Amino acid sequence: MLGSVFTGLLIIGAAIVLAVASHRRFFAGHPAPPSGLAVLHRGEVAFLQAAAEVLFPESASLPVVGVDAQLPLYVDRHLAALPRTQRFLIRALLLLFEHLSLVLPAGGPGGRDRFSSLSAAARVDVLEQVAGHRDDRVRLLFTALRALVALGYLGHPENLRALSLAPFEIEPGVSDAELLFPRIGALPMSIRFTEADRTDPAALGPLDPHGPRLRAGSRADRLAGPPAGSDARRATP
Amino acid sequence: MTNDPTRAAGPPRPAMPPPLEADWLRAARERVRVFAQYDGPFEERADVVVVGSGPCGAVAAYELARAGKDVILVEEGPPFTVRDLELDGNLSMTRTMREGGLRTTRGTIMPTMQAVALGGGSLVNSAICVRPPDAVFERWASGFDLERTDRAHLDPHFDAIGEFLGIAPTPDAVQGRRNLLFRDACRALGVSSEPIERNVRGCRGSGECFTGCRSRAKQSMDVSYVPAALRAGARVLTSLKVLTIHHTGRRATGVSGHVVVPFSGGGRSGRTHRFRIDAKAVVLAAGCTATPVLLRESGNLANLSGQVGRNLQFHPGVAIAGVFPEAVDPQFGATQGYQSLAFLHEGFKLETLWAPPPLLSMRFPGMGAELQARYAELPRMAVWDAIVSANRSLGEVRSRPFLTQPELHWRLHPADLAILRRALFVIAELFFAAGATRILPGVGGIAEQIDRLEDARVLDSEAVRAENLVMGGNHVFCTTRMHGDPTRGVVDEDGRCHDFENLYIADTGIFPQCPSVNPMWTGMALARRQALALAERL
Repeated sequence: MLGSVFTGLLIIGAAIVLAVASHRRFFAGHPAPPSGLAVLHRGEVAFLQAAAEVLFPESASLPVVGVDAQLPLYVDRHLAALPRTQRFLIRALLLLFEHLSLVLPAGGPGGRDRFSSLSAAARVDVLEQVAGHRDDRVRLLFTALRALVALGYLGHPENLRALSLAPFEIEPGVSDAELLFPRIGALPMSIRFTEADRTDPAALGPLDPHGPRLRAGSRADRLAGPPAGSDARRATP
Repeated sequence: MTNDPTRAAGPPRPAMPPPLEADWLRAARERVRVFAQYDGPFEERADVVVVGSGPCGAVAAYELARAGKDVILVEEGPPFTVRDLELDGNLSMTRTMREGGLRTTRGTIMPTMQAVALGGGSLVNSAICVRPPDAVFERWASGFDLERTDRAHLDPHFDAIGEFLGIAPTPDAVQGRRNLLFRDACRALGVSSEPIERNVRGCRGSGECFTGCRSRAKQSMDVSYVPAALRAGARVLTSLKVLTIHHTGRRATGVSGHVVVPFSGGGRSGRTHRFRIDAKAVVLAAGCTATPVLLRESGNLANLSGQVGRNLQFHPGVAIAGVFPEAVDPQFGATQGYQSLAFLHEGFKLETLWAPPPLLSMRFPGMGAELQARYAELPRMAVWDAIVSANRSLGEVRSRPFLTQPELHWRLHPADLAILRRALFVIAELFFAAGATRILPGVGGIAEQIDRLEDARVLDSEAVRAENLVMGGNHVFCTTRMHGDPTRGVVDEDGRCHDFENLYIADTGIFPQCPSVNPMWTGMALARRQALALAERL
């Protein structure tokens, strides 16, 4: 009788220890995330910032460093626009990397801590182990993670402008599509274009290769919000 | 005396004045339906329902409407106006591509993209139009019992589409340096090359075909054939996902499905009202990966041959970035402005390529300062690619229980891998001939950068393995292939399913084999021929 009570207490105790350890490992101690996120939780934000810091450190090559590139906001917007299955897969990738140090620990004390709690040198160590792994599939994981954050990093408007790779400033054309179709989510009555608005790109001629580029890029365009009359809740990712 | 006003007012007037432009616009807008307009289940009736508004479906809808048929063109995606286009390449893909642009094959892993938008892939492709050489049609004719699928029979259709879309070689004024470097490299090596013919009117060289043309110079279907179909009287219903083809015996009677929320992926959570469209004929132009799934999920239709979903082929593509000593200004210029068909007999075609830089950079090696230094070289880079006639690399489109998207199983054949290796080496030769100081092959398992042509020979060796190649396969074929023998193919030369009297397929799935060149123009020519034949039968 006493033995079974003791065993029960032992199991309960072990479960409590496990729960506390899991909570500390997975949920506790992350800084508050920026506001306005639709998908990412604070642990994922912490991971992305930790990865951005070592993938894109301060350098002479580009003006914006990884931690200042608002990558969590970019990735959040990307995830929000993805279908559910792909969103799940990318979030699983983030979770995997955050705890990959359990399998591929960094050198030195605390090498099995979660990725976002490791020192910068230890994070580089973990990423290099994955990038140089003998198994193609493991290397592919690194490529996927790097691609995910690189899209937002290099795509940051300031980085693109610094490289003269920002999109050209172009007055948007008006074709039959603009005359016939409303913006996505809007009703046809919202169409304001008439035949007189139609443009002819041939009349404008080639762009100047060194001509003006967009300053804010697409990010500000999207922040302008949906058009009047739209059903933004349903149609805007 | 007379009351006839025409006699009193000078020259006679036509009996009916031509419609004012505003009238056609108002009438055409009334024949369009978009997501925000659906407020409940509905039923429609037409002579023909065309499922899919990509290049093939749009041409079919236009020709049928022009022939006086009552046509409904159904599209799962929404129409994109210029202000709906997303300049960020990654976010653009999430909005315009199935599976958010993250679709890959299984077996040999390769990204593959299929658009879901009014106009289909033409909204976000680089507008390349190439007529396949005679050898391709000869191969098709001899291997697949086809009698009327050759240049002589199809050239009138190629010509009509070419004239409609203004297909013409890319002018030098918008080539930009990265395209002209390719031309110069080909000249230096004595390789023939030419400006790419494209369905573009008034290209300004913004290099953003892949995210949609903000100038509206590209004659994608949403600005060309779909509006023309509307002018001709067709109805265009967007945001409708067809789930079932209805039939009685050997006759299709219509289609049904659900309204889908834009960008929802078409899954159950994104579906709203039901719809049904009854028609005298059904034309499936949903694309090579969607059409076979639709047939199978409608009761394994048109599959007495057992070929539906099988024979999946791609043009797997590989690319190399070359770094030049001086600025290339790659952002300016036609997205893909120059090509070489000189190696078609070896199984590959060479092209220039540009894409939003963050997408291109995904293949760069390393991390940290090293990776950032690569980014800084982008203004001195050009990217050239090869697409391969991978006729021996086969796969299958499979539907997956409880999942919206199909599984694409495909495996690269060793003989086609050998062609890819050879193509990589030829691209390297061209880069060094053009004066590149080094190349980034983007192939795992070998050097991340190559500084000398002699070292590039590794590209044409067994060191390049399929699993280490960064490939893309956006031209997809053969899953409902055309064959003169009903036991070996799904459709006949007019695109009509062998097992049905009035069920047609008009997408690249009917190609008997991959066409070795960019497929859009060929698909449209076949669709035009089919539509004219169907119009006569109705």
